[in-house]
Amino acid sequence: MDLNQVKEKKIIKTLQFGVLEIEPQHIFYFENGILGFEDLHEFVLIADEETLPFKWLISVENPEIGFPLLSPWHLDLMYDPGDEFDLEKLVLMVIVTLEDENKQMTANMKAPIVFDVENQRGWQTILPSDKYSTNFVIPKKTKQE
Amino acid sequence: MLVLSRKIGEVITIGSTVKITILDYRRGVVRIGIEAPKSIPVHRKEVYDKIIELNRQAAKIEIEKLRKEMKNISVKENKNLKDNLTSQTVVFNKDNSQNTTAKEEQNG
Repeated sequence: MDLNQVKEKKIIKTLQFGVLEIEPQHIFYFENGILGFEDLHEFVLIADEETLPFKWLISVENPEIGFPLLSPWHLDLMYDPGDEFDLEKLVLMVIVTLEDENKQMTANMKAPIVFDVENQRGWQTILPSDKYSTNFVIPKKTKQE
Repeated sequence: MLVLSRKIGEVITIGSTVKITILDYRRGVVRIGIEAPKSIPVHRKEVYDKIIELNRQAAKIEIEKLRKEMKNISVKENKNLKDNLTSQTVVFNKDNSQNTTAKEEQNG
């Protein structure tokens, strides 16, 4: 395969952000995909100013697929994934979802997305600890806030 | 499905790297010890299934819905949070709809 061809910009039509031009250095390669989406391998992280501090992990191959992410430390200052994660090199984010029935936003603290920034790789891991929930309820604002 | 009978303390091997030991059986609960290399993730199936379900749910969230719900939640402003991903993130700005990288934004 021609390497120059691989390194070309990609134009993707996303559901959330319309048409985006993606530079090769922004693409994270997920060898095993994301659980439930094992056939998707290339993702790009998007920061939409209107939804910060959330970020969006958008599939390059199927740009209709996108996951809202949040840093777990926004939710739990003591979040500790364990020593095997070198946080100088790896960045962890958790997937957020809206649970329609009970109208609450939850974060999957048990299965964070790990980004290896230097090598542009990513994967979803499952922490062995029972300390973290797959659906941690993000607290609602109190009236004072 | 391969069905094997094992007594407490007996072992099943899978390939050359995975060993499963039956540790205990009490009141309808089997305790199993699993030795596997780190490259083979081992999880309770219901946890695995739940994660897949949550991922599928998350993948469908519309940005407008999140934007609306964001107003109701309390996310700690964590100023000390290091964001090593900044240079790898595409910044989206609705107004000019032209994406620029965070790095360029910072320099500009």
